[in-house]
Amino acid sequence: MRPATRRRLAAAIASLAALAALVVLLFPLYAVIVASFETNSQLFGASHYSFFPSQFTLSNYRVVLSQQGSHVISSLIIALGTAVLTLAIALPAAHALARYRFRVTALLVASLLIAQILPSIVIANSLFLVYHRLHLLNSYPGLIIADASYAVPFSILVLRAFMLGLPRDVLAAARVDGATEWRAFTRVVLPMSRSAVITVALFAFLNGWGDFIFALTLLNGNTFEPVTLSIYTYVGEFSQNWGEAMALAVFAVLPAAMLLIAAQRYIAAGLTVGSVKGLSIVIGDTSCASSIG
Amino acid sequence: MTRISAPTRGTGAAARRKGPAATPARSRRYRLRRLAHWAFLLPAGAYVLFAFAIPVVYNLVLSFEQTSPATISHLTAPFAGWSNYTTTLKDPTADSAIVRTFSFTVLSLLFQFLIGFGLALLFNLRFPLRRFARSLILVPWLLPLLVTGVIFKFLFQLEAGAVNQVLVDLHLIHQPVGFVLSPGWAYVTVLITNIWIGVPFFTVLLYSALQDVPPELTEAARIDGAGPWQRLTRVTLPVIRPVIEVVFVLGFVFTVKVFDVVIGLTNGGPANSTQLIATWAYNLSFQNFNYGAGAALSTVLLLIALVAAPLYIWLNRESLRGDAL
Repeated sequence: MRPATRRRLAAAIASLAALAALVVLLFPLYAVIVASFETNSQLFGASHYSFFPSQFTLSNYRVVLSQQGSHVISSLIIALGTAVLTLAIALPAAHALARYRFRVTALLVASLLIAQILPSIVIANSLFLVYHRLHLLNSYPGLIIADASYAVPFSILVLRAFMLGLPRDVLAAARVDGATEWRAFTRVVLPMSRSAVITVALFAFLNGWGDFIFALTLLNGNTFEPVTLSIYTYVGEFSQNWGEAMALAVFAVLPAAMLLIAAQRYIAAGLTVGSVKGLSIVIGDTSCASSIG
Repeated sequence: MTRISAPTRGTGAAARRKGPAATPARSRRYRLRRLAHWAFLLPAGAYVLFAFAIPVVYNLVLSFEQTSPATISHLTAPFAGWSNYTTTLKDPTADSAIVRTFSFTVLSLLFQFLIGFGLALLFNLRFPLRRFARSLILVPWLLPLLVTGVIFKFLFQLEAGAVNQVLVDLHLIHQPVGFVLSPGWAYVTVLITNIWIGVPFFTVLLYSALQDVPPELTEAARIDGAGPWQRLTRVTLPVIRPVIEVVFVLGFVFTVKVFDVVIGLTNGGPANSTQLIATWAYNLSFQNFNYGAGAALSTVLLLIALVAAPLYIWLNRESLRGDAL
């Protein structure tokens, strides 16, 4: 075989292998979308699964829109709240850890790394009892504080790594101009860190959006519930009703997908700079998916 | 920018050491500035205390208390000694949950690495649609983990399940298998789902590591007569070893605490055959209202997760050193 032919053959095989991998990785999403347009008799108890169903219905979406709208709103409030709280905590801290000298900097960074490792069930177990005393159960603030625990340590570390890479002279100039610490932070550091801020905000949003364990433990579902919790109760209570559950799952994915596409170019920038500075970045993991693997 | 040599807060000692220039006015300004520096850390400090430190300590306290649904309205309960640990760990369900968490973690990481590395090598080749395929590989990250669990429950169902349909169509099985209905299969199903979730993460990180391998290195090995396998094991793998270490440590940390996927897929069943430490601790606390027992098992999980802490900190040692300007 001539080298050129061989190379073309290798490329073809590689393409096929990549295609096969994509089919396996993406099929579940395809199945969800298709199922969300099918009637329940097509999905449950049917004699076989059809990959290309011939009949479609919008009834699942009609039901979900009329019954689940408030849950989508709840998820949005929680996710936005988580993003705002995370930024409010992480931005100043990252700035201080990047810019000022503390004897305890190494200790603080190490404790953030450990905080990232803590299993959420440990936090949930205690917070439930603490919240019971503080009357924070079934409340947005309580849940948002808990949900921020996914993103706060990661965000401080990523933002700090990014801020360490900012040019020193610009900040020195702000100092010389007599800017206060706060002004230098808000007028100089924040605008220059835009892509990292967007990355972190998105990460926090997706974690708040995808959280399940804190919603399960800190809410009883009588006041409000996010989409994740409502999918869970859906499949538990009416485990037969796959069509509606899958339509709801589409709603659980859509906002994340839209946001990610909208913010794509910032994320790439934020992560590249981050990864040059420290390996902690890579935890930008399975995002909604608060955790990998 | 003024360089501050000794960060002594409040005493003005540092300013005094600076010599004649350190007038009282100047030291006051220094102190204020120093106070401002700490003020930036205040929200994060308060948060870490409330959301991490206190829960961990309180969880430890709870694990030594005799709790019951009646003690929920008090923050403390009678001291119970080690009894929560001894009774919880003597329970066969907890025992098998611990063993299962280990096997689940090892098998997940092994297959995630093998598949992820294979895909990373694949994407490292030149072929049409490479860029397109690489960006699509991240799509599974969009799914909240619980939703992934629920979706796979649908795909693996007995009647009209997609997985069964594929296997029957390929003549690999004659009868549909009750994947989430039989204890042995349920474990395999959760494992497969978790591997599916983790593969993109492994692929992306290993791929970016492969991109950083200098082509001269493999080229030199090729000229020296090394075959593809030798180039892989003697050149590529040693070069990307730091990233492999990171991926495994992170993978471990994330896999030992898996919760959402199990709950969405099997709820720990059938017959507790898919309970992991996290899900069983949840059961003890929130289904049986035995907070002390749940806290004891959570502490066990915490200790297992913390095994990775020294390694994780060591891998991030650069960021500990990272100096202020």
